[in-house]
Amino acid sequence: MFVDFSQPQRQSAAGILINGAYVVQHVVRAMFIPLVLFIVKANKMAILYTAFGFIAILVLAFLYGYFYYLKFTFYLNPLKQEFVIDKGVFSRKHLTIPLEKIQQVNINQGFLQKLIGVYSLQIDTAGTDSKEVDIRAINGETAQALKQHLLHGQTVTTITENEITIPAAPVQDVPLIKIKTATLFKIGLTSNYGQSFALLTAFGYAAFHNIKELLKALDNDNGQVEQFVKSGFTLFSIGILVAAIAVLLLATNVIRTFVKYFDFQLSKHRQSLLISAGLLTKKNTLLHPNKVQITEYSQNYLQKKIGLFHMSLKQAHAGRQQSEKEMKNNNTEIPGCSTTEKDELLRMILGRLPEGGSTFKPNWRFLNLPIVFFVLLPILIYFVFYYFFSEVRPYYPLAAIYTIIVLLMTYISYTKHRITVSENYIIKQSGIWDISQEIIEPHKIQSISTSQYLWHKKLDIGHVTLYTAAGSISFSYGNFTEIKTLVNYWLYQVEGGNEEWM
Amino acid sequence: MQPFTNETIDLNTLPKYEETPLTKPDRKYWKIIIINLCIFLAFVAIGLGLLILFNENARNHWLLWLSIFVAFAVFLYLISHVSFKRRGFALREKDILYKSGVLAEKTTIIPLNRIQHVALNEGVFSRMFGLGTLQIYTASGSSGEIHIAGIKIEQAKVIRESLVQRLTINTKAENE
Repeated sequence: MFVDFSQPQRQSAAGILINGAYVVQHVVRAMFIPLVLFIVKANKMAILYTAFGFIAILVLAFLYGYFYYLKFTFYLNPLKQEFVIDKGVFSRKHLTIPLEKIQQVNINQGFLQKLIGVYSLQIDTAGTDSKEVDIRAINGETAQALKQHLLHGQTVTTITENEITIPAAPVQDVPLIKIKTATLFKIGLTSNYGQSFALLTAFGYAAFHNIKELLKALDNDNGQVEQFVKSGFTLFSIGILVAAIAVLLLATNVIRTFVKYFDFQLSKHRQSLLISAGLLTKKNTLLHPNKVQITEYSQNYLQKKIGLFHMSLKQAHAGRQQSEKEMKNNNTEIPGCSTTEKDELLRMILGRLPEGGSTFKPNWRFLNLPIVFFVLLPILIYFVFYYFFSEVRPYYPLAAIYTIIVLLMTYISYTKHRITVSENYIIKQSGIWDISQEIIEPHKIQSISTSQYLWHKKLDIGHVTLYTAAGSISFSYGNFTEIKTLVNYWLYQVEGGNEEWM
Repeated sequence: MQPFTNETIDLNTLPKYEETPLTKPDRKYWKIIIINLCIFLAFVAIGLGLLILFNENARNHWLLWLSIFVAFAVFLYLISHVSFKRRGFALREKDILYKSGVLAEKTTIIPLNRIQHVALNEGVFSRMFGLGTLQIYTASGSSGEIHIAGIKIEQAKVIRESLVQRLTINTKAENE
């Protein structure tokens, strides 16, 4: 199907509804708790007014949605190879995106969009906020056509640059990686404990806080929540609590994995990788292998037993500082794949499997700083408290356990920290539980920095950091003479070669 | 050094970044550092003066506070001096490097073909002394950047021009 994008056009008319709903959603989200409190406390008259107010907001929101729809146009300028968006009701915004700067085109379908049967389309570029370029309502066919135009329109003029991989490969729609439900269940049980734990903690805290707020609002707060929590802490119940948290953690993990990665499919589509996944909202991502800056795969003890890898493809986020979350969004995650699938994918992205090379390990002084800051200092503080306050004395077994665990973790991280260098690849291994291998190609290096503490000059120990457009890789406490030789070699590769980093 | 599997290049004949002679920042830049330091210390002194004036407890120990202040000033002066002495940069044919650091000596190297853009900053005091700060950006975000302070403005402009010209040549080659 051919759609002409060279004329300015609006999104699908359903956009009015979507835009309006979007505004309502924002307003409701911002005012949810005050609104609930108000309704609980207020009399009938006030509720009536609130209802009127709510209707007014609804009308205004959809009116805004209508104008937003009218003012939002987009088109593709085939001459300049640019995608142009004009938008804004009160303040106008004119966005021009050169096609060659486009990294990813995402087509999503949220709940409301699923009901109406439209999609949203977001464009990721190096240097702009992806929220800026968000076409919220577009029908499926147009979205697919536009995506093709955005990603492949550029190849018409600059064929030589973007198609180094395999020229004119037949279109394959057989998925390269397809994750079955059983595998997904296994993935949920074995990975991402840290993230889920953080989520649970945050949720637990929020629940605690909100219940308290509600009780306070109803003038009933006599510290029941604290009482309830406190009564839970007998020695016996702690055991149950730990078990319950573990079960809850695994359950959260499995649910999260299912929501995010249900029906995960990765297929090769011309020169790009097409990834789709999601239970409630299906997320489609298209990415160019040569725009990947860092390829990472990792495995923990349990995953090793069942032969699964976690992979993450990190793409450029050029030009400006990004928050941790945005960095994460730029990463394409493959939650689980077997050894053969992993190798296949590595071959697609890097051209061949990285093999051989010389390995460099850190000096034992790697251990010093972590031990001082995470073991000696806390223990010293504990001893000071031990001396002055008798309340903390019964907790000495905890202190001992902490010391042993942290020492062990530090030692493991020391034994795992290493860098392997060959002509075409640099592989950094690190980790404590999840052991990850980050692979970069020398021509993706943006800049290099070396550093050395003054007291390490005689010992010939130093550190090196390689910066890429998708984050950095560092190797610490290595032999500085070796590091300097490596740096000179990498500089030679980057400056002597003509390969583009993107 | 462990042997590489790559025999075509003798690693020892590669140009060594660590042996590149570095250009020190301009001497006048030391004056700017001192001015900035004095301004900062003046603010601290005013705060301390007010504390001694209005707080009885502090007034009784004014000698102690004064000696802490002097020690702090001397400490900052020494740190600034060491930091100034250790700075240096070099523009090579194919990259630019910058060295700095007090406790840890850090050298950052940016290959010229990876530069995204170059900015030249002139502060109020810098302008009085005819100096500027050269900022060199890459696609790796703020952590991999170089800021070279205290270069003579004419020299900085020349460096910027040469870097920018290389840039346009590079992008032109890309577009063709």
